[in-house]
Amino acid sequence: MLTVLALASVVLLGIVPDPSQAIVIYTGWERHALLGSDVRLSCSFFSWRWTSDDVTFSWTYRPDGSKDSISIFHYTGGMAYVDNKGPFRDRLEFVGNPGRRDGSILLKNLDFSDNGTFTCDAKNPPDIVGRPQSSPLRRVPIQAGVITGAIIGVVLGLLVLIVVIYYLMRFLVARRVFSLSVSKHGKKKKEGSQQRQGPAPPADPSKVKAAASEKKKQESRKDKK
Amino acid sequence: MLVLGGIILLHVTTIILLLVATIDNAWWITDTVSTDLWGRWELSNNLWHFTNLKNYPEDYLQAIQATAVLSCIFAILALFVFVAQLFTLPKGQRFTFTGILQLIACLCIMIAASIYTAQLHASETEGGYGHSYVLAWISFVFTLFLAVTYLVLRKKSE
Repeated sequence: MLTVLALASVVLLGIVPDPSQAIVIYTGWERHALLGSDVRLSCSFFSWRWTSDDVTFSWTYRPDGSKDSISIFHYTGGMAYVDNKGPFRDRLEFVGNPGRRDGSILLKNLDFSDNGTFTCDAKNPPDIVGRPQSSPLRRVPIQAGVITGAIIGVVLGLLVLIVVIYYLMRFLVARRVFSLSVSKHGKKKKEGSQQRQGPAPPADPSKVKAAASEKKKQESRKDKK
Repeated sequence: MLVLGGIILLHVTTIILLLVATIDNAWWITDTVSTDLWGRWELSNNLWHFTNLKNYPEDYLQAIQATAVLSCIFAILALFVFVAQLFTLPKGQRFTFTGILQLIACLCIMIAASIYTAQLHASETEGGYGHSYVLAWISFVFTLFLAVTYLVLRKKSE
C-alpha cells in the first residue's frame, strides 16, 4: 500500500509541472478609446525567477470578427521590434521597462479599424510556461460630438433665455400699467398690444393671470372709448 | 378652415422631411456607398455594412449635424406654438412667434445644406447627392414659405 502511494506520488510530481515555474502575465482591462487618441497597452508578468537578460515580450493583434492574429511587436535581446509593414506601421512605440518586467506599448493615433484584441505574451527564460493574456480594445465611435452638442445646447439655451426674458418684460410692463396715469396707459396699451401677439403659450399661471387681467382692462378701456 | 388644414398639413410634411433628411444617412450616394451625417453604409458582397465616417473635416461635419438637428427641433416647436397660438392669440393678430421659430428652422437647415455643399464631397467625381440632401433643400423651401405665411397671416376676427 505504502509503496503504491509512494510510486503514485513520484509519478504525479513528475508529470505535473511545478506551478512556481509558470509565468503569470497581467494586462489591462478592456479599453475604450477615442478616435485619434493614444492608447497605452500595458503588460507585465510575475515570475519566481529573476528577470533574465533574455526576457521577451510579444504583442499580437486579432481584429474583431477575424480569426487570424498578426504579430505586431516583439522585444528580445534588449531590442524592441515594432510593426513596420502592417496596420500599425509607425504607430507603435515601446514604453515599457523590461528590467521592471513591464512590456507596455503605446498605440498612437487610434484609427477607425483598430477594434480588436491585443494579446501579450511574455517569456522569462527559463520560465516560459504561461498563458498569454488578452486585452480587448474598443474604439468609441465619433461621439455625436462636443461641437454638435455645444451648438445645440447654446442655441436652445438662448431660445429659452429669450422667451423667459420676454415673459418677464411683459409681466413687469403689465404690473406698471396699473400704477401709471391715463396718457401713459394709452402708450403702454399700444406697446402691450404689439407685444401680445408674441409667445402665447403661457409659461406661468401668474403671468397668465396678469396678461388676462391686462387684456380685460384694455378691452374695457377700448369699450369705454 | 381649408387654409388652416392646408397649412398644418404642410407644416407636418415639412417636419417629416426634415426628420428624414437629418436621420437617414443618404446625403451622398454612389453605387456601393450611402453616406453621411452620422455614418456610412457600404455594400460589399451584397451586404450592407455600417461603418464610421473616415477622414471628414470634423468641425464642419459636427456643425452640419447640429444645425440639422436644430432645424428639426425648431420646426416641431413651431408646430406646437402654432397650435397654441390658434387658441390663445387675440383676433386680428399675426402668428409672429410661430413665424420666427419657423424662420430659425429654415435658417438652420439652409446652413446645414450649404456647409455640406461647400465643404464635404466637394471634389469627388464618383457619386451624387442622395435623397436626404434633396429633402433638406426641399424642406428649406417649405420652411421659408411657411415662415412667411405665419408672419403674414392674421388670425380671423369674426
